Amino acid sequence: MLLTVLSFALLIQTPQGAPRTIAIDEAFASQAHLKVGDRVTLSARPDTPADSAEVVIVGAIARRGADPSEVARGDYVVRMHLDQLQRIAGYGDRVDRFAIATRPSADVGRTLEQINHVAFGFRAYRSKDIAVETSRTFQVVSRFHRAIGIITIVASSIFLLCIMVLKVEERRRDIAALRLMGISRLSVVRSIVIEAGLVAVLGSVLGIVIGWVVSLVVNWHYQALYRTPLYFSIITPSIVAFAVALSLVLGIGAGLVASARLARTPPLALFGR
Amino acid sequence: MTAPSGASVGAVRDVPTARASIVSLSDVHRDYPIGAELVHALRGVSLEVERGDYVSIVGPSGCGKSTLLNLVGVIDQPTSGTVAIAGKRVDAMTDREATSFRLHNIGFVFQRFYLMPTLSALENVELPMAEAKVSARERNARAAKLLEYVGLGARQHHRPSELSGGEQQRVAIARALANRPALMLADEPTGERDAKTGAEIIALFRQLNADGTTMIVVTHDEDLANAARRKIHMRDGRIVQE
Ligand SMILES: Nc1ncnc2c1ncn2[C@@H]1O[C@H](COP(=O)(O)OP(=O)(O)O)[C@@H](O)[C@H]1O
Ligand SMILES: [Mg+2]
Repeated sequence: MLLTVLSFALLIQTPQGAPRTIAIDEAFASQAHLKVGDRVTLSARPDTPADSAEVVIVGAIARRGADPSEVARGDYVVRMHLDQLQRIAGYGDRVDRFAIATRPSADVGRTLEQINHVAFGFRAYRSKDIAVETSRTFQVVSRFHRAIGIITIVASSIFLLCIMVLKVEERRRDIAALRLMGISRLSVVRSIVIEAGLVAVLGSVLGIVIGWVVSLVVNWHYQALYRTPLYFSIITPSIVAFAVALSLVLGIGAGLVASARLARTPPLALFGR
Repeated sequence: MTAPSGASVGAVRDVPTARASIVSLSDVHRDYPIGAELVHALRGVSLEVERGDYVSIVGPSGCGKSTLLNLVGVIDQPTSGTVAIAGKRVDAMTDREATSFRLHNIGFVFQRFYLMPTLSALENVELPMAEAKVSARERNARAAKLLEYVGLGARQHHRPSELSGGEQQRVAIARALANRPALMLADEPTGERDAKTGAEIIALFRQLNADGTTMIVVTHDEDLANAARRKIHMRDGRIVQE
């Protein structure tokens, strides 16, 4: 069986002979209102005479694979027997591309070498390398996303620092009173930093929960829209770790900067007389 | 007397000193530079306060009362002259020494109370004890006792926002007493407060003094000033009359 993408004209037909089966993809099935067991006529062109068209039965409806390159495609995919395809297409016994699955234990590098050595006219690539080639667009898009992410993080860090300084500034008099009571600078800074750290942890937990919910909604929506099992948004442990670490560093850093500023000021000056 | 710089700063209440004075100021000047000018807030103040005394300081606004109290409270340093508290020179302490000295020896009460808004009355009183590394159990017991002492036994777990102004001031007084200071300083403690609250504070201070705490109170309030055993008048940065 060969996977090929073609444009087909379609006609619902009456039974004749013993038709063979084809498999069509889910999106196609739902748009053409086809179900398993339906008879269809296949031909390479809309104006093909009825006697050279093939009558087939829809034998299976295939779900789409988790292939990013398929997601946005408007094409319909039909799988059929190779000889039938050749007959309809009027296209000889030729194959452009085929895939070889290897066992997990196989040495892919050596296999590639061997194929490339013996198979004249073919060139074997790792699927990974092909994926890289075919996903250049995705890479550009994801680099763009990363840039947006970095800008967002930088901007919000500055925002956070300002908020923190303002929030701590609001407590000038409280801090002054603490210092006058005999609470040391270290204790003042420590308590503010601990508070900032707790807020940061709480914030990142909240952020992760919100992110997780949003990502569920995004996946649910786009998986339905594109009829694909592909995940559009994922939250990995490394993303979670990064988010928590970043917010801790930012929160504690901002708390330190803000509280150290005030703790350095003599308590009487904090009261602003 | 020489400044014992670098010496450890501990509680002085039970340390007997050569003199009976707990506060000893000698020819103290305090100038504030305002631009190129100097404001002479104190112009040669000498003062001795005995242990267990109750002193009020009165005088027109701007005569240097708060400046004097801040020097005695080790939150400010004189331009010249010496300040000794409980026999210890405090006029040239480092910030760290001064902070620790205040924690263990001095209780402050201000016009405004500056309680921590997120902490309960009890926790506010426990705060200076926590800083002084008093165990949690003792902290709790002592803070409860202090709140009872100021008449807020039933309000221990209220936040400052749930207390009246007078009640908040009493929490602040309990907090000032947390580490059993030998010296209690109050700057306009009844200012902005109604007569009933004023009377409560006067009674509380009297009780405190009767129980052995040395009190120095700066006030405009005639009744509060007259409650003291000793009344000091200031004018223009000087003590003019006792
Ligand atoms: N931090 C300061 N900077 C400049 N001048 C000050 C400062 N603190 C007090 N002064 C001045 O010193 C004088 C005495 O002030 P203060 O001790 O607060 O007076 P009182 O408490 O008796 O009203 C006033 O003239 C006041 O303006
Ligand atoms: Mg004043």
